Amino acid sequence: MSRTSSLRLVPLIVERDIRILFSDTFLVGIMFTNFAIDLFVTAVTFGNLIPPTTGIPSYFLYIAPGSNFITAAVAAFQSGRDVWREKYIKDLTSYLLSLPAPRPVLAASRIAGGVARSLIATFPGTLVISYLYGVLFDPRVFAAYLIVGLFSLGIVGLSITIAAFASSIEVFVTIRSGVQLYLSFLSTLFYTVETFRLQAPALVPFVSSNPMTWAVEAFRELRVAHDILPPIAVLVAPSLAFAALGMASYLWYSRL
Amino acid sequence: MSSSGIRASVSSEPSLAETGLVGGVFQIALRDIATLFRTPWIIISRSLAFVIQLFVFATLISKLVVLPSFFQYYAIGSVVGTIASISFIIGYDIFEEAEEGVLDYLLTLPVTRRQFIIGRALGGAVRAMIYIIPMFAIVAVLERFANPLTLAAAILDLFLLAFGITGLSITVAVSVRSANRFDVVLALLELAVSRASTALYPIAFMPSYVAAIAPFSPVSLAADSARAALTSVSLDITGLAGLIAFVVVFLGLGAAFYFRKLEGGVYA
Repeated sequence: MSRTSSLRLVPLIVERDIRILFSDTFLVGIMFTNFAIDLFVTAVTFGNLIPPTTGIPSYFLYIAPGSNFITAAVAAFQSGRDVWREKYIKDLTSYLLSLPAPRPVLAASRIAGGVARSLIATFPGTLVISYLYGVLFDPRVFAAYLIVGLFSLGIVGLSITIAAFASSIEVFVTIRSGVQLYLSFLSTLFYTVETFRLQAPALVPFVSSNPMTWAVEAFRELRVAHDILPPIAVLVAPSLAFAALGMASYLWYSRL
Repeated sequence: MSSSGIRASVSSEPSLAETGLVGGVFQIALRDIATLFRTPWIIISRSLAFVIQLFVFATLISKLVVLPSFFQYYAIGSVVGTIASISFIIGYDIFEEAEEGVLDYLLTLPVTRRQFIIGRALGGAVRAMIYIIPMFAIVAVLERFANPLTLAAAILDLFLLAFGITGLSITVAVSVRSANRFDVVLALLELAVSRASTALYPIAFMPSYVAAIAPFSPVSLAADSARAALTSVSLDITGLAGLIAFVVVFLGLGAAFYFRKLEGGVYA
């Protein structure tokens, strides 16, 4: 099969993944509801609890992007769950490998499908946060989606890697919970690096190397920065590295 | 989470019918307790979540919030939130049993339907208590809660909450048919009763649309009552009465729905 014709299959494979997401529209609605509870209940309340004297002018706005990135992580991890289910529950791996697409194209398409699903699941959330940040009617709104997309790319790669090596769904779910805890609580989602430096200096290396830290910091920069490329650039290399890892794991995992 | 491995332990009890009402309930409850401990992954992930929330999130965030003793407030609330979360698991078990056909086997056991239903609810609550006690002990040691009476009152609050949530979870498990929807409905319910409550933050700081409903959340009732017992050494009669009402309503509803499904519903 020529390279051009195999590349034509990419949108079809991505479309299949999107259709799987929408096979239960209720699930998409629930993801947005979770985001709304995170933002309009938890974030608003903590926003009232934490005064500007802490050095954070508006704590609500500070943690608002985190609600959206948590939703993105949940949606991205769904890709790994689907890949695991295809092999162990639905027995679909052989069928997928019989598709007229070279395996690297199939693997890359699955990752692209996961990113597309995550962007769809977070689409309204990104709009809401962009509005709160005053960048909704500004070209920076595209940068907002780019940041969410890059973050999702890394997490989709990571989730497929975990799915490739998890022997049972319980192992997958437990590792996913651990990663989500790391992303949420050992990042600058809720507090600044300075807070970690003062209260728990041993955790600073973990916080500084956390993809959630890079993503939320890049998003926060959108409010003030005129040159948005440097904060986004920080995300590119690690996201591509995680995506490559996911692709390699998918190829290893789907070998017959 | 239902496991065929449990069958041996239950079916190896030939005296089940002879042990009377209490014995039958006890055996069914014992099976549910064994089921939780047969799946250590759930215990590991939720324990890890509790530890990180308490020792990282609560420690750091309490330096930022305006309340002087927020760590203590959050620590008690996180125990209450965790027990609510664990108590929801019984619903997943019941749903899976129906899907996998284990329920048919369970119905052949020599116990009455009433014993079976009460046993399931009791098992769900007791295993949540067993799970939460080490976490409660950590908080008690950290915050130096040493009065046996107040500790007992707080444990009673936790048990009532666990019992009521178990009933609520059973009600949802037997009311929703689609597996995907069941997963998300239960997850959303869990999130809603925990977040729209006073478990993790005081009502005075909530937005008005949440503050209006938060006092009625069973998690709020348990959290406020446990805090009153542990920190003010007082008995929150309103909270306790609310919790008892919650238990009666949802245990009754759960039992009624479960009974109806068993006797000619979708699981028949």
